Amino acid sequence: MLKIEKILSLNNKTFSYLFFLSLGVIVLFLLNLWYGSVLISAENVLKTLLGNTNNNSDSIIIINYRLPQAITALAIGMALGLSGLLLQTLFNNPLAGPSVLGISSGASFGVALVVLSGSITGINYLMPGLVFGNILIVASALIGAFAVLFLIIFISARIGNIVVVLIIGIMIGYAINALVGVLQFFSRSMELQEYVIWGLGSFSKTTLTQSVYLSLSILILIVFSFFFRNSLNVLLMGKNYAQSMGINTKRMQFSVLLIAGLLIALATAFTGPIAFLGLAIPHIARNLFNTSNHRVLLPAVIILGAFIALVCNFISKLPGYDTSLPINAVTSMIGAPIVIWAIIKRSKIRQS
Amino acid sequence: MKEVLKIKNLKTAYFVGKRNQRILHHLQNLAVYEGDLVSVLGLNGSGKSTLIRSLLGMQKSVESEIYFQNTNSRSININELAKLVSVVLTDKLEDNFLKVYEIVSLGRFPYGSSTGSLTELDKEKISMAMESMNITEFANRSFSQLSDGEKQRVLIARAIAQDTPLIILDEPAAFIDSPGKLSIMKMLKLISKSQNKSVLLTTHDIESALKFSDKIWLLSQDGSFQSGIPEEMINNDLINSFFDKDGITFNKEKLGFDID
Repeated sequence: MLKIEKILSLNNKTFSYLFFLSLGVIVLFLLNLWYGSVLISAENVLKTLLGNTNNNSDSIIIINYRLPQAITALAIGMALGLSGLLLQTLFNNPLAGPSVLGISSGASFGVALVVLSGSITGINYLMPGLVFGNILIVASALIGAFAVLFLIIFISARIGNIVVVLIIGIMIGYAINALVGVLQFFSRSMELQEYVIWGLGSFSKTTLTQSVYLSLSILILIVFSFFFRNSLNVLLMGKNYAQSMGINTKRMQFSVLLIAGLLIALATAFTGPIAFLGLAIPHIARNLFNTSNHRVLLPAVIILGAFIALVCNFISKLPGYDTSLPINAVTSMIGAPIVIWAIIKRSKIRQS
Repeated sequence: MKEVLKIKNLKTAYFVGKRNQRILHHLQNLAVYEGDLVSVLGLNGSGKSTLIRSLLGMQKSVESEIYFQNTNSRSININELAKLVSVVLTDKLEDNFLKVYEIVSLGRFPYGSSTGSLTELDKEKISMAMESMNITEFANRSFSQLSDGEKQRVLIARAIAQDTPLIILDEPAAFIDSPGKLSIMKMLKLISKSQNKSVLLTTHDIESALKFSDKIWLLSQDGSFQSGIPEEMINNDLINSFFDKDGITFNKEKLGFDID
């Protein structure tokens, strides 16, 4: 009895890991404000953050460029990590991630329609500084992503079998990508290049106001996800067991899909599709904390997601000068080996 | 005696598409009493799992009037049902990180609890369940690293922690070696008697079912159905007429099968 009680309490190691990761997030956030193509002293970074922004060109760079970029990276890391975890548990599949439901393809289609239609209308929506164009891109991505999300949820409500929903999501993704391909075929090279660049993803497309609203929306979704911390654990045993323990699996499927889908839709609309983060972060969290318990994993993927996205953003800025690496190149180079490692480890455990 | 489960009228069926159905069994006025261990026997394809799934509402049946603790199953919501029946299924668990104690404590979910927010009562039920299945010593190990027999004991402990008057198990002894099969049946028998729980299980292991069960339900592939106390069924040649085939006969003295 005593022994079990000791085992059942969440251990201190979990808390200290979460604590140090949170510290890491704060440090990385400041590093991302400090480092960039223009040299800014740490003193000026802190001054700006404390509200002292008098006529300082450094402050303008920080407030208008680096701060929204860092906030966006932080929020997107959280959103993608969380959506990946929710989908992997819901589909009981280690390869589920933000891209499998076709939601990011839906966003891409919305953007492709607008950008590539520039070939016909002659308007260049992605021209730097064109605020109207920026909002139009975000709106079209959101509409495309929501359209696919509601299609998926509609299908999932009619078909109880979650594996079928997964396969249909992947198929919708393929079909939409084909449509995008057709649009690309009929486009001029200028618009095409702009669309391709959008598809490479970027944390620096948001204004400060946008990044704040984006973070707030993601924060609300995070709060909702915590209501499912116990039922997600039960769902690890499979649909039938979950039902036998009193869970209305159809309703839960709907809610979890909605939360994950909204997270993906928001993330893709503001930054373009970001590869691998959503897939890799839950795997790192499970291996680092050595658990599948969502009471640990939910905070873990959120903090770890922010941590890794900020690391990726920092790496993308390393070349210096006025270029930075496309964020997708960085996330893929970091994410792919991690997923490979996690899958190999998983199969090793099973064989032993 | 108290009826924990009463099947007043149940027609189990296979469904092929929406209209096409094949009735498997028609069960009427059948009960599982408090503290009884009932084994459902039948050959492959006789519809044992279909019966279990129909009872639990996991599968459609043609007609169904079932009572849990004298309440019609139609007027019990899914959460109340979770406090009346717990299950052990054949579904595979894919997760690599779940610990034994975490799985057992999931059994407390219907009472609003989970790991990390367990009440004293929850902890007591969990440790009692682990003791009764003899798994306390590997409480902190990963489920995926256990042997098939140990895994089954963990899943049964989870059902016990759910603290329901009835536990339904689908093939609890499949994929387990013979001594393991016997020990699982023995543990289930002990639980049914010492904790006054009713146990309904399906099995292919005729010998241990006859040895440990209070009642046997025989399902045949042609749709006929028989139930009774093991000794009576043996003495009335029911077991022989049911299972003897191709020179393999049931030996009443040994409670085992002979090969001619």
